[in-house]
Amino acid sequence: MVKMKYLIIALLIVLVGISATFLFFPSEEKKVKKRFALLSEHVSKGSEENAFMMANKIKGISDLFGESCNFAVSDYSLSGTYTREEISGIALRGRAHFSTLSLKFYDSEVSFPEKDLAQVNLTARLTGKSVYGEQVDETRELICLLKKGEKKWLFSSLEVVEVLRR
Amino acid sequence: MNKKVLGKVRQFFFPPLTKGFFIRIFFIAITAYLFFSYICLPLQIKGNSMEPTYSSRGINFCWRLRYLFSKPKRHDVVVVRFAGSKVMLLKRVVGLEGERIEFRDGKLFVNGSPLEEPYVRRPCNWNLSPRKVDNHCVYVVGDNRNMSIENHYFGQTSMERIMGGPLW
Repeated sequence: MVKMKYLIIALLIVLVGISATFLFFPSEEKKVKKRFALLSEHVSKGSEENAFMMANKIKGISDLFGESCNFAVSDYSLSGTYTREEISGIALRGRAHFSTLSLKFYDSEVSFPEKDLAQVNLTARLTGKSVYGEQVDETRELICLLKKGEKKWLFSSLEVVEVLRR
Repeated sequence: MNKKVLGKVRQFFFPPLTKGFFIRIFFIAITAYLFFSYICLPLQIKGNSMEPTYSSRGINFCWRLRYLFSKPKRHDVVVVRFAGSKVMLLKRVVGLEGERIEFRDGKLFVNGSPLEEPYVRRPCNWNLSPRKVDNHCVYVVGDNRNMSIENHYFGQTSMERIMGGPLW
């Protein structure tokens, strides 16, 4: 009976240890996915957003990117390499067009083709309402590259997959 | 209705909860899951780019075995994987690999010859310079051309993105 008690306690300790390991030392894949969760949070906009919240979110967006990031988003004429400051400006102007905005990511597949480089294929859905009252609902497939720098995964490339080419 | 028939009806709708019943339910659930996840995918149509052939908010299924042993043919309606595994486009194949596609005053030309398209019922004024369809690609367009060319999503797509065809 005593042995059984010790066995249960030992099992519980092992379980707590495993849970703590997953919680406090997340895998690289989880860290990469967390960056997308943060991007989604910072891009999204509620109707009650004030100037202070907006400034915080723009700062949050720029912190997710490396010194420069390559964009290939032909639908919005956003192609080329942009610095962090330029990305902040684009985010600021882009968000100003909307009264509400939501960005969500689905079906993400993370791979690590090189050391300190992550490639993520995923679906992005942008929904919201423009300041003119138009409803927006756009879905695209993305290929993103993130590089590990300053102990963080930072976006270095963002490309919208061209499914139909005229 | 006599008692025997009533008994059979009751047994059909409220079968006894035996081991055999649960095994049957388990296999039916597994089969239905595999069938509707990998072979016959349910679709809800959003948008009017395929009108009048397919209306917005219509329900259909993507039959994934349609192009298992053959390639899409001209005039086939195909389901194109657009993003992830859930967002798809319903379009019609108008050009095959190596062909030259062009729109002149709303009329579609393939290799310089006009293409008969009975499914296009609404007027169209599109103009698009000639372009060649790459290898392993097909050129797809919606049936509803009664909108500006900028607002219609069409073009060539890789054969790998063709998921199948609509069931009806």
